Amino acid sequence: MDSRGGKITVVLVVLCVLLGGGYVAFAALGPDQTTTDAKPTAGGAPAGVAVMVRAVDPSSPTLNGRVFVVEDGKVERQSTDLACERVYYAAGRGICMGVAPSGVDYNAKIFDSRFQTLHTIDLTGLPSRARVSADGRYGAMTVFVSGDSYVGNSTAFSTRTTILDMASGREIAQLERFDVTKDGKPFDAVDFNFWGVTFAKDPNRFYATLATGKHHYLVEGNVADESMRVLRDGVECPSLSPDDKQIAFKSRIGDEDRWHVHVLDLDTLADHPVAESRSVDDQPEWLDNQTLAYSDGTDVYTVPADGSGEERLLVKDASSPVRMPNSRQETSPSDR
Amino acid sequence: MYQVEASKVLLKPRLWAGRAARLQVPRNVVMLGLVSLLTDVSSEMVATILPLYLVFSLGASPLAFGAIDGTYRGAAALVQVASGFASDRWRRPKTVAGLGYGISAVGKVALVAAGNTLGGIGAIVAFDRVGKGIRTAPRDALISLSSAKDRLATSFGVHRAMDSAGAMLGPLLAFGILLVAPARFDAVFVVSTLFAVLGVAVLVFNVQGRPDRAPREGTPPAFRAALRLLVEPRFAPLLIAAAGLSVASVSDAMIYIGLQRSIDFDPALFPLLYVMTAIAFMGLAIPVGQLADRIGKVPVLLAGQALLFVAYGVLMMSSVGYLALAFSLLALGGYFAATEGVLTALAGAQLPERLQASGIGLLITVTSLGRLLSSLIFGALWFALGLQTAVVCFAAALALAIALAAPLLYRAQRAALDG
Repeated sequence: MDSRGGKITVVLVVLCVLLGGGYVAFAALGPDQTTTDAKPTAGGAPAGVAVMVRAVDPSSPTLNGRVFVVEDGKVERQSTDLACERVYYAAGRGICMGVAPSGVDYNAKIFDSRFQTLHTIDLTGLPSRARVSADGRYGAMTVFVSGDSYVGNSTAFSTRTTILDMASGREIAQLERFDVTKDGKPFDAVDFNFWGVTFAKDPNRFYATLATGKHHYLVEGNVADESMRVLRDGVECPSLSPDDKQIAFKSRIGDEDRWHVHVLDLDTLADHPVAESRSVDDQPEWLDNQTLAYSDGTDVYTVPADGSGEERLLVKDASSPVRMPNSRQETSPSDR
Repeated sequence: MYQVEASKVLLKPRLWAGRAARLQVPRNVVMLGLVSLLTDVSSEMVATILPLYLVFSLGASPLAFGAIDGTYRGAAALVQVASGFASDRWRRPKTVAGLGYGISAVGKVALVAAGNTLGGIGAIVAFDRVGKGIRTAPRDALISLSSAKDRLATSFGVHRAMDSAGAMLGPLLAFGILLVAPARFDAVFVVSTLFAVLGVAVLVFNVQGRPDRAPREGTPPAFRAALRLLVEPRFAPLLIAAAGLSVASVSDAMIYIGLQRSIDFDPALFPLLYVMTAIAFMGLAIPVGQLADRIGKVPVLLAGQALLFVAYGVLMMSSVGYLALAFSLLALGGYFAATEGVLTALAGAQLPERLQASGIGLLITVTSLGRLLSSLIFGALWFALGLQTAVVCFAAALALAIALAAPLLYRAQRAALDG
């Protein structure tokens, strides 16, 4: 059995080397997919709404993550070289978090209104959330920092959230270093994790999620003071309405990793669900003071913020929705 | 794909043919090491990129992946006892191990065919874990039965070194493929499947199913006989000692997180901690195994456990330099080398031939449940009292566990000599 078994194994090894090597070579050198795919496609978008999205098509590396703007039912491709896992844009400045050219690391690119990269920032983990303040001054990014397993068995993920100066591309603050208060008293624990920043009209003021133990607190923070205070529990990935009055967020269903979108009133801190029907793991986006957009990972939907009506497909095969001003009125610092 | 050839070139002359004269490692053990190496390349390739793939291609959150994975680890621990006994009962350790390797390989094929749904991924991770649960006990029994009793620790050292070599090569290969073919996760899955198939092929065609020490006569053991191991004087003390030691040992993952907190280095370098520990483990596994065969498994095992104090000590320091960091990772690698394989070798020497897989299955279940408990307790202590207090508590517990384990282990050995 020895020599026969050995021969069979050698033949199998050769076969596998040829098959595997061939497949990888084919994948590496394979024909490029065309860049004029139909995806993403506009759903029943309300008239007058313009939204930026990233394309979702894992089977096409040349399309996946590319940035599109959908306006009045028309889909227009904006970038060919920016491939983003998360994208956000406001006032002529955008953040695109994606895989670095190495294919192994991640980076974030700060781009202008012509989708030209101004700054590139190395990231320390998987992109999670990106936001830019309405005036384009500050940006915020959250990444997952993982303890991946070589010998051990850690599947614990922690997050890291930073605030950027969008003009220089420099990191100006880390949420992990901010002083936190709860009920007026200092609040600290080793397992603090922060994610999902949303900026107010005054970009120094922001909201975010602080997770510790089984709690997911909504915090209100100040960039200049490097301080935060806890407002209430059970709020993840907050998103502030353009009028600074309401916060849309994902509300965890029990202890599971499933969420529904809720909206809370900042005066009363009371919340209500919206008429969405699926589990949503996204930081919602306000299209105006009455309408939310969010992605379920493959498509973008809209739903009224007051809990009425029903969800509607906005863009198919897309995620990371961003409210855009009407293109005919757009002006931005870099254009002037 | 070069790793297969490279490792064959490396392993054949150096471990098997060339140094085999000095090392005296049975061919079957090297072949089982090769099976584990190939299988680990396969599963670590996927494990490395799965979070990436889930988040980017399927839009899932990494936390969901953690939940998926954690669920099945628990289930796998219980499968081990059953598969160990089945392998003893049917006297077919190779068949049962083959079933485990086969199930994992089928999971890889399924990943290529239907890996684009979250439910599908969950099922595949389940396949992989269950397959691992099934194969471990009969595989270790085969290693044990293929070796002379006074060479057991060396054999397990060789196997563990090859096993962790595979775990190191897998991620490198996966990243290499994504580097030349960006975003082509399917290419990673295909290559991973081929490695899994090769692993099964080497097991089927090159591993002897009935090695020298395998029982050939007498009636197959009843389930009651396997259960009686729990009170067997030459094995039960070993189980108790192993349970105590595993509960008092802080998991390496927790140690890395603790080190990261006290050093505050670039989190991008975090995986490097695993790599350095794995390299130390790989390099030390064989010499430490030889040492255990020469001077005795019990002292080496206990000394290895004591190496954890080095890591604990570094965690206690308020500021840690890179030298202290390297030192603690080396100690951690030495701890793995002197405990993981040596403990299984000790069990192999204590257990009757007809109950090898059952006993090893029990041992693995006890230690993995102990580790789970340890992580829960350590996490809770860390959260409630702070890192340093938690480390002090565990250091005290470890000292106690070692002090209690020593007489228990020697008693088990004496019982084996008397019986």
